[in-house]
Amino acid sequence: MASHVALGAYMPGDTPMHRLDARVKLVLLLAMTVAAFCATSLLAAVLCIMSLAFCLFVSHVSPGTVARGLRPAAIVLALSFLANAVVVTGGADITIVGQVGASSAGVWRGTLAVARIVMLVGFALVVCATTMPTQMVDAASSLARPLGRLGVPVGDLAMATSIALRFIPVASDEYDRIVLAQRARGARFDEGSVRKRLSRRVSVLVPLVVSLFRRADELALAMGDRCYSGDRRTILIGPMRTVDWSVLAGGLVFTALVCLV
Amino acid sequence: MLEIKNVRFAYATSGGPALDGVSIVVRPGERIAVLGVNGSGKSTLARIANGSARPISGEVQADGERGVDLVRVVGYVRQDPTCQLVSARVFDEVCFGPANLGLKRREVVLRAHEALVRCHIEHLADKGTAELSGGQQQLVAIAGVIAMHPRYLVLDEVTSHLDPRAGEEVAALTRSLVDEGVGVLEMAHDVRSVLDATRVVVLEEGRMAWEGTPTDFLCSAKALNLSSLNADSRARAICAAVRAGANPGDCGDPDVLSTFALTHGIGRDVMGTLGQRADADVPLPRHELALEAATVCYGDVLALDAVTLAALEGVTIIAGLSGSGKTTAACALAGVIDLEDGVALLDNAPVRPGCVGLAFQRPETQLFADTVADDIAFGPRNIGLGEVEVTAAVARAAHEMGLGDDLLDRPPFSLSGGQRRRVALAGLVALDYGAYVLDEPSAGLDPVGRSRLQAFVRRLARGGASVVVVTHAVGAWLSVADHVVFLRDGRVATSCGADEAWASSAPYETVGLPVPYEVRVRELLGGGIHG
Repeated sequence: MASHVALGAYMPGDTPMHRLDARVKLVLLLAMTVAAFCATSLLAAVLCIMSLAFCLFVSHVSPGTVARGLRPAAIVLALSFLANAVVVTGGADITIVGQVGASSAGVWRGTLAVARIVMLVGFALVVCATTMPTQMVDAASSLARPLGRLGVPVGDLAMATSIALRFIPVASDEYDRIVLAQRARGARFDEGSVRKRLSRRVSVLVPLVVSLFRRADELALAMGDRCYSGDRRTILIGPMRTVDWSVLAGGLVFTALVCLV
Repeated sequence: MLEIKNVRFAYATSGGPALDGVSIVVRPGERIAVLGVNGSGKSTLARIANGSARPISGEVQADGERGVDLVRVVGYVRQDPTCQLVSARVFDEVCFGPANLGLKRREVVLRAHEALVRCHIEHLADKGTAELSGGQQQLVAIAGVIAMHPRYLVLDEVTSHLDPRAGEEVAALTRSLVDEGVGVLEMAHDVRSVLDATRVVVLEEGRMAWEGTPTDFLCSAKALNLSSLNADSRARAICAAVRAGANPGDCGDPDVLSTFALTHGIGRDVMGTLGQRADADVPLPRHELALEAATVCYGDVLALDAVTLAALEGVTIIAGLSGSGKTTAACALAGVIDLEDGVALLDNAPVRPGCVGLAFQRPETQLFADTVADDIAFGPRNIGLGEVEVTAAVARAAHEMGLGDDLLDRPPFSLSGGQRRRVALAGLVALDYGAYVLDEPSAGLDPVGRSRLQAFVRRLARGGASVVVVTHAVGAWLSVADHVVFLRDGRVATSCGADEAWASSAPYETVGLPVPYEVRVRELLGGGIHG
């Protein structure tokens, strides 16, 4: 019972961006975020936009997907643009009505603010679309490994995260099955007062929670059966290839350049 | 050598011992089949064998390893693959075990590749575990265990949730592992496991009730009775042949069995063991459930493609491999999913949710109310019956399912698994529907439990209801069926009367479904005896 592809979901493919090491993608995403906020000059902004266009091109992510990603933030973006651009106290470069007008400096600030969000959403979507959630968890835990020396249980956290990812489809299938069976027993989930609808959902949640606990118990046993103990696990993420190192170095130089110009 | 010596075990929550005085030895390259009805202690024994449950008394050791170290040499595969897959990606899943052993990264990857190749699923390496079929998931689970290089394997009813083709793949893989020297301890309800076994053990209420070779097992009325395999027609046919001198290992092939029966003059006997079809005892008036040009899509996937089928009277089986659209068809017939196109009809009126009874596999996991009575009353209350009528409906349904009055005020979670299943079915019949759709109702049931369920289904049909049974186990359900509809890739490939599917391979072959054992034997013997 598969549902439609969610925004920000992994899109299977074999582009250079898919093949790039997930650690490099995460580090460069972080670097580009910093760069996007440091960039103030027109040249830097153009460089950022060109690099996003390049990333979209090599990862086969359509600009439409980025537009879809921006939709929830559209109102906030519009407001922040207007707040920057519109002047209501007079002294505007471009007068609209009486005291109300727009300042060219404000328009530039507003455009920059919007462009930054577009950059962030765009790069984040590129990384999400080309990196499996499991690779992301592996990469994040590998990057966070130094924290282990400070007593942070990085391995356990990574395992918990990846199991949560694994069980999202399982839980949603189970939920669907219970809802279908109860609909066949005459339950109406979309009728009646809010209170009534909530109590209907409770009759779905009880067997769902019971079943998820049962599965959690079973899974814990199954993990024990395969010798899981939390520590001393082999780290499966391999060494980075030369090409990964080169992309990382190139990317960092590029972001530094963006910050400086 | 995996040695279980005089083991005793009890759960904290229940009174009596779950296992009492059980002793079993598994040598490398041996395969021990453990049979017994639901609740006889098989799964507990499986847990004891790999050290994940500790016996109260007695001893378990494998090649000198004991206690928590047993898991390093004894691998364990469960019946429900969704409960044992840890990772979202197949390759990571297979790496999980070896990585826990702390091996070098290169060794882990090497072992994972090798395990995938051994299970013939190397092409699935980059797939997500959630997008696989049940059969593929079970092969991944086995690969994940094999990658740890266990010397012994515990298999707990690993084929009970699989379609026949996937079941055969898992069985073939198990045979090749045994040939390579792995010792296998297998919990089973299926006579196939007996045929391939070195020795057979039957558990009854946690005790070893019988032990011997497959030939002795198949010749012993007591052993068959205790394991409830006497309620399985395929097992009875094989017994008849083995008693006449056939080698159990050869009886897995229905062609070999039939040839043996004909050449040894026991054709009629074997035919007799396969049973009769239920009489056409469905009275008038009766209900009719149908789909007309039903189309269902999940995203880009066309799950049902203009399916037209009719469950005219009595019991209709919907058969097909995993992914053929059976469960979607079941939901569409019950009116609980939206159709892209087409319509579901009950007695020529569109089906609304709540008009057709629907139960999925293991309905007992869906109980939720505080008391048994409230759970059964859920449907009647939803359709707005008064309290007096609700009480009457609950009493009738409880009586129908053999639930005593003393159980009605108890919380469902305090009951045994078998009782819970009956509560769930009572909740279904409480609404007195004109039609019922049951999705894999007999998965995981022992043969006696399955026969009881079939008698219940036949009673529903005799009451005039149209009953649709979606199942992998077509051979076992034919005796109570009237019609069979075969689905393939979301379309109706063919449909026929149960009398035609009863003794002819043709309908199965047209849809690429393995021919049920009983059907093939009937076909060959029918031709041989009369021809």
